[in-house]
Amino acid sequence: MAKIDTLKEEARKLLQDGKVKYIIGYGAGSNGWPAAPLFIKQPEDVDKLIWDPTCIHNLVRFLVDEKRRKGKEKPPDKRPVGIFVKGCDSRAIVVLLQEKFIERGDVYILGISCEKAGVVDDAKLAKKLAGKKVITIEVDDENRFVLTTAGGKIEVPVEELLAERCLECRANFPVIYDVLSGEKTKRAVDKPFGSVEKIESLPVEERWAFWKEQIDKCIRCYACRSACPMCYCDECVVDSIQLAVSADTTADEKAGRIKWIQRSAAPSENMIYHLVRAIHLGGRCIDCGECERVCPLDIPLRLLNKKLEKEAKELFDYEVGFDPDLPALISSFRDDDPQDFIR
Amino acid sequence: MAEEFEPRIVAFLCKWCSSAGSDLAGVSRMEYPPNVVPIQVMCSGSVSPLYIFSAFNKGADGVLVSGCHPGDCHYIKGNYYARRRLNLVKQLLEYIGLEPERFQMSWISAAEGTKYTQVIKDFVKELKPLGPQSKLRRTP
Repeated sequence: MAKIDTLKEEARKLLQDGKVKYIIGYGAGSNGWPAAPLFIKQPEDVDKLIWDPTCIHNLVRFLVDEKRRKGKEKPPDKRPVGIFVKGCDSRAIVVLLQEKFIERGDVYILGISCEKAGVVDDAKLAKKLAGKKVITIEVDDENRFVLTTAGGKIEVPVEELLAERCLECRANFPVIYDVLSGEKTKRAVDKPFGSVEKIESLPVEERWAFWKEQIDKCIRCYACRSACPMCYCDECVVDSIQLAVSADTTADEKAGRIKWIQRSAAPSENMIYHLVRAIHLGGRCIDCGECERVCPLDIPLRLLNKKLEKEAKELFDYEVGFDPDLPALISSFRDDDPQDFIR
Repeated sequence: MAEEFEPRIVAFLCKWCSSAGSDLAGVSRMEYPPNVVPIQVMCSGSVSPLYIFSAFNKGADGVLVSGCHPGDCHYIKGNYYARRRLNLVKQLLEYIGLEPERFQMSWISAAEGTKYTQVIKDFVKELKPLGPQSKLRRTP
């Protein structure tokens, strides 16, 4: 994995010169480990920045929050925000640029390449450690994770602990950046959509049984929506009922309102919510895996979004998050788009 | 003897072609199964995926979206957008385990009354063996 010493220096300079408003990066978590998002405003705090395989979070979500905050500032601070991004996170920035949600001048991108590794999977790591406490986790030259615990070092090949999405990641380096640390190494992946294909190969009733069981678990906490850098609608279809009620909303108006999705956590309503979310992320999801990571019930939400990424690639030859000048998938078309399913 | 299952189909028909096509079928007194609830929309491109999910949610056994043939759209390119977007919807519905026959799309022009009746006949025939759609239906 790349080192971030050069990026730290860059960050220090940016803050000293006042070129950025603040910098979003990764710092030590509340127990020292694993990493947590860190906001830096003072140059002397730059040393608190860290980079290790537990920097799982996609910090791009904070750019969405920043845009909302900026709207309320008087006068607005127009300086860019510095942000640390991995390969997948940088693709999220590309999509936001594509949709003109942010402008290139709004961000100063400090890119870090995952090189041959990636980030760890919480669950896999916990299993490996079996109760032991990790002090540090690093990647050595032979592409193994070195876990330093109080009882000594454990070496594990990266494949055993990597997050599922990292195993299916084809470009684990930032595609857009102002400064970059690390090499641009493409990983050779045999099956970039292996996890999706596994479900597709099941017969239809088994697929339904699988998804029904998963989606039934949903408690509608909307953590997936909150963590997603692409879920930035001002009013979400699931809470339009709540938002539109004011003191002078008449009973008639309330009764006449369309209830697209009810708010109870019933299986059918959960399913519609997740379908809508998946469709809204079609051609936009960059597979950062945040929805799945934050889900308190471990619903494999990534698999829904990954399916549409696969279809975008296979049906429309569209790769998400590489070219900020490309029109979005569903706001463009080609004359020869497949239509064999249409009568 | 139990009554035969009659599927309920929600059909989103575009105002300029498919809806006119269904009208033609009607005024020409062509016979076709009465299982369809037609909903006129301004363009197949205006059909949000949410309409489709919602129709299933509210008890439709099948959903049909029909628009003008490619190149004939009243709004020049609405049906091209629909084709791309609804392809994704179809793939997604199949992926979560809904029977692929339940969601269909067709191109029907204002002159194709016969094609309209044929599409509905085929659709009903395909839906009958599947029985009622309960997967996405709202649970009371």
